[in-house]
Amino acid sequence: MVSEDVLRTHLQELRRGTVVVASLVALRRPDYGYALLQRLSDHGFPVDANTLYPLLRRLEDQGLLTSEWNTEESRPRKFYRTSDEGESMLNRLLDDLAAVQTSITGLIQGVER
Amino acid sequence: MNTLTDRYLAATLRSVPTQRRDEIATELRASIDDMIEGRTDGGQDAATAEREVLTELGNPDVLAARYADRRLQLIGPTYYLLWLRLLKLLLSFIPALVGTIVTVVEAAEGKGFGAIGPGIVAAMQVAVQIAFWLTVTFAIIERTQTAVDLPEWTVDQLPDAPARRGIPLADTIASVIMLVLTIAYLPLQHYHSWVSGTDGENIAILDPALWSFWLPALIGVLALSVIFEVVKYRIDRWTWALFGTKVLLDLAFAVPLAWLALSDRLLNPALAKRLSWVAEAENREGLGLAIAVGAAAIVVWDLIDTARKTRQQTTA
Repeated sequence: MVSEDVLRTHLQELRRGTVVVASLVALRRPDYGYALLQRLSDHGFPVDANTLYPLLRRLEDQGLLTSEWNTEESRPRKFYRTSDEGESMLNRLLDDLAAVQTSITGLIQGVER
Repeated sequence: MNTLTDRYLAATLRSVPTQRRDEIATELRASIDDMIEGRTDGGQDAATAEREVLTELGNPDVLAARYADRRLQLIGPTYYLLWLRLLKLLLSFIPALVGTIVTVVEAAEGKGFGAIGPGIVAAMQVAVQIAFWLTVTFAIIERTQTAVDLPEWTVDQLPDAPARRGIPLADTIASVIMLVLTIAYLPLQHYHSWVSGTDGENIAILDPALWSFWLPALIGVLALSVIFEVVKYRIDRWTWALFGTKVLLDLAFAVPLAWLALSDRLLNPALAKRLSWVAEAENREGLGLAIAVGAAAIVVWDLIDTARKTRQQTTA
């Protein structure tokens, strides 16, 4: 029986990079931090708030996201959107994700159980 | 207003770079309010919701470090091994060197055995200073993200696979230190024993008459023993020739010592005038016998132990 701790670490490792991919995909439609958090978790990407908020700023610093303040609603919200640069980066990442999936499938078929 | 949220924001923003503090503050406050609202909409009361949301966000210092992209480690994996190697290298000889120098200087000023204390203290201080400053330097390099050109590892750096040493270095060093201390004690007790005469002059423990032959002879034997230890380390295993030499050296030291002790020629007669316990012939005989028996016991034990090791290492 695999210990819960070991399993959790490996799942965490596996999921880590996908948060960036998921955020870049989701932010093709502009959104603010909390709404994005909800959207991601609705689609099966549970992310911790204390990971996502700093991550959005970091992606913005790297030029992968652009942002705009919306002051029309009850409280000022910063809306993020995937930039052109972010889009081309996202395509590379999605290609790689697909390649990983293909490789894994091939490997599974090639190995007899 | 000094709500939990205010306190949380203040704690987080404290260690975020100033130029982006206001923006992060506005955004984080809005996010927190959103999260609280998400919970109160579900029917929770506001105070509990606030508490839970802030708990979920976790330690503000961790969050701030994530915003600032700051590493939560003193020395990271890039530099850790280099730091460790330098630390070991520097600690391996500098404290011992400084300690020895201090001891020698203090001894030269006539402190006798009192010189060892300052030597040890100096060595420990130097060790602490080295560890501290080296670590500070590496912590700064880690934080400034200075690109230090670390040489790439190559297979040529591989050390030779360690051969199992028959004679451990630590044993050799320990033996040599013991021998050197014994050699040093013989002249030391002559000039600085802890016994002084009626008018404050120094009284040697051992009979000064022995300096005409026996003490120099014993020092010679001890010096030969030091050479023996070094040769043994170079050969790296016990051989029967080494065992034979060891027997001769042990006997050359122990037999004269026991003989001098039994014939009551070891102690300085002047001591008897000062210490009444030594003045009684019966006590002196007892002491002489104890020294002789002790020396014999040590030699016998040492030779049995050595014979055992020699047999193991010559048959293997």
